[in-house]
Amino acid sequence: MNEENKTEAKLDDIQIAAIVSSSVFVVWFVVYWFFQIQAVRELFEFVRVNNF
Amino acid sequence: MPTSILGPYTRTIIAAALVVVTIVFCLTIRIPVHTSIEPLFDWMTASWFGYIGTTWGAAFAVVEAFHLVGLAFIGGTVVASDGRLLGLILTDQPPRAIIDKTYRIFNWALILTLSTGIFMACGVAGKIYFLKVFWYKMLTLCAGMLFEYGIRRPLLEKELEDINPWVLKLTAVASVMVWFTVAALGRWIGYSG
Repeated sequence: MNEENKTEAKLDDIQIAAIVSSSVFVVWFVVYWFFQIQAVRELFEFVRVNNF
Repeated sequence: MPTSILGPYTRTIIAAALVVVTIVFCLTIRIPVHTSIEPLFDWMTASWFGYIGTTWGAAFAVVEAFHLVGLAFIGGTVVASDGRLLGLILTDQPPRAIIDKTYRIFNWALILTLSTGIFMACGVAGKIYFLKVFWYKMLTLCAGMLFEYGIRRPLLEKELEDINPWVLKLTAVASVMVWFTVAALGRWIGYSG
């Protein structure tokens, strides 16, 4: 592998790593906050139904 | 040398492996490990930091104020640099200048936040050990630091013109999400009396 190819591979490597890790974070963020917000909504609903 | 073993996609393989290891850890040995480290939190409570934190509320409050200042700086640098990468703010400034200027501030803010956070954790170790949200915050904080120093910075060391614009934007969005979650979970720990 010559120097130019090595540089391209490095660039591809870091970009692919960025895509993999960023995608995981975005999925994690959406799932985690969906369930947290859902839990708060259920709490509000519980309070409303039980006239607290 | 790991590069020669894993080939040209070393960083991608390591990133994917860390994700898999974290998921496997959470699904298998998380609870036994949580139980086994309880003595560490007892030690933290009994340490000088724990004694000061639990005895002098004013000292805890002052340290907490610096902790919040550190978090504010982290939030500011993330919003400035990632907002610029997304083309939402500071569009009259070159992105490279914004990124370079926020690097150093981010480093010092992270050091401030971590050092004050360790003190605060000692002061409330008996509480946070049992808080799920604390462990979510630690997971997100570790992931955020690995992402910042292992992925985002090496990526942005390249010429920005050589990076796919969608990769840049995805990285910026992920960075904002991670640090927003760290800050929000920290606030949540405060609410969990």
